[in-house]
Amino acid sequence: MREDTDLLPLLKRVAAGDEAALRTLYDLTSPKLYGVILRIQRDRSVAEDVLQDVYLRVWQAAGSYAPEAGRPLSWLCAIARNRAIDGLRRKGEIQGPVHEDGEDWVERLIDPHDGEAALVGRDALNACLGRLEPAQRACVVLAYCEGRSREELAARFDRPVNTIKTWLHRSIAALKSCLEGLS
Amino acid sequence: MSAGPDDTDRDLGDRASGDRDLRAAEYVLGTLPGPERAALDLERTVDPATEAMVRAWERRLAPLALAAPEVAPPPGAWEAILRALPRRAGTSDGRVVALNRQVRRWRLATAAAGLLAAGLALFVAVGPRGPAPAAPGARYLAVVQGGGALPALVVTVDVAAGTAQVRPLGAETPAGKSLELWYVGADAAPKPIGLVGTAPGRITLPPGASADGVIAVSVEPQGGSPSGLPTGPVIYTGKLIRE
Repeated sequence: MREDTDLLPLLKRVAAGDEAALRTLYDLTSPKLYGVILRIQRDRSVAEDVLQDVYLRVWQAAGSYAPEAGRPLSWLCAIARNRAIDGLRRKGEIQGPVHEDGEDWVERLIDPHDGEAALVGRDALNACLGRLEPAQRACVVLAYCEGRSREELAARFDRPVNTIKTWLHRSIAALKSCLEGLS
Repeated sequence: MSAGPDDTDRDLGDRASGDRDLRAAEYVLGTLPGPERAALDLERTVDPATEAMVRAWERRLAPLALAAPEVAPPPGAWEAILRALPRRAGTSDGRVVALNRQVRRWRLATAAAGLLAAGLALFVAVGPRGPAPAAPGARYLAVVQGGGALPALVVTVDVAAGTAQVRPLGAETPAGKSLELWYVGADAAPKPIGLVGTAPGRITLPPGASADGVIAVSVEPQGGSPSGLPTGPVIYTGKLIRE
């Protein structure tokens, strides 16, 4: 359904200005991208604006897609996350209190879901996240999946913003060396 | 200091590169504050090394994004996209639009915060604004503010003549390094336009350079980038301002 073999030729046609190809790409990928955006931008009407913005961006940037940027669906997800987070950071918007600890997002990573059992790098990322201190893992996951800012994480964990920054930097270094060790 | 110049260089390089990777990772996580995020947005368009670091973090964390549950978009979302699609003009390609968007976003942001890491702040000189179109031969400038009383660097661009005058004032070049100037035009590939010297110098802009371009300064090995593209951290990027 959303295999690279389907998406790659579609991206090429979109790059050539084929609106029908953009429509097919939209039908295949928009539920996933809208899901990614809604985790970050919870206001549905704003999330819909972000989704439109993402496909306009894809329309303009499809020609610059290169396999080095990751698989097509990962590339699309990166654009969606970027646009959603741009909206939050530009307005300095606060999303409401953080109650979760991010563990349900990690669990979704472990379970095969949406028929994407063969996801490249999934097991390695899961193993390396598992080695982080629980609170530090939660910061990484809540930031990445929900778009939480340093300030929101500081409030959630009742720590100074600088401590959150240190946690994030420590987690980033640990993840990098762990993932490089496993690959 | 017992360390030789080579060791110092390498330490400096490692630290700069490590810092850049942390910023790239926080950019992907989404935790960089707005102005630093906007600065990195522009940096990745002019600096392939930064872009590669961002891509690497996107790849590492992608499984977590793909784990998001699917949600059907509201009906009518596709029609709205279709209505907003720009019809392609013959000369415009996607990358031009993308760069213009980056530049616009950068201009909207309060900028500069991310550039403080290198000890340089951008001082934006806002000229008189008016609806008048740019006159032929209009001159543009970019000002780089250092920590001291004097600006670090003033770049004056004469678009009609295709030249730029670089006046280094308080610019401090890291020991054993060169500061290299880049022009990023509509085709988004940075073109080297010269090194920042200790004396004022006149440099020639690439053919077709326009006032829509971006000037960037990167830290390079002595004598300039060996590859023809920025290899060190980009410590300043700025839109030209009408003089």
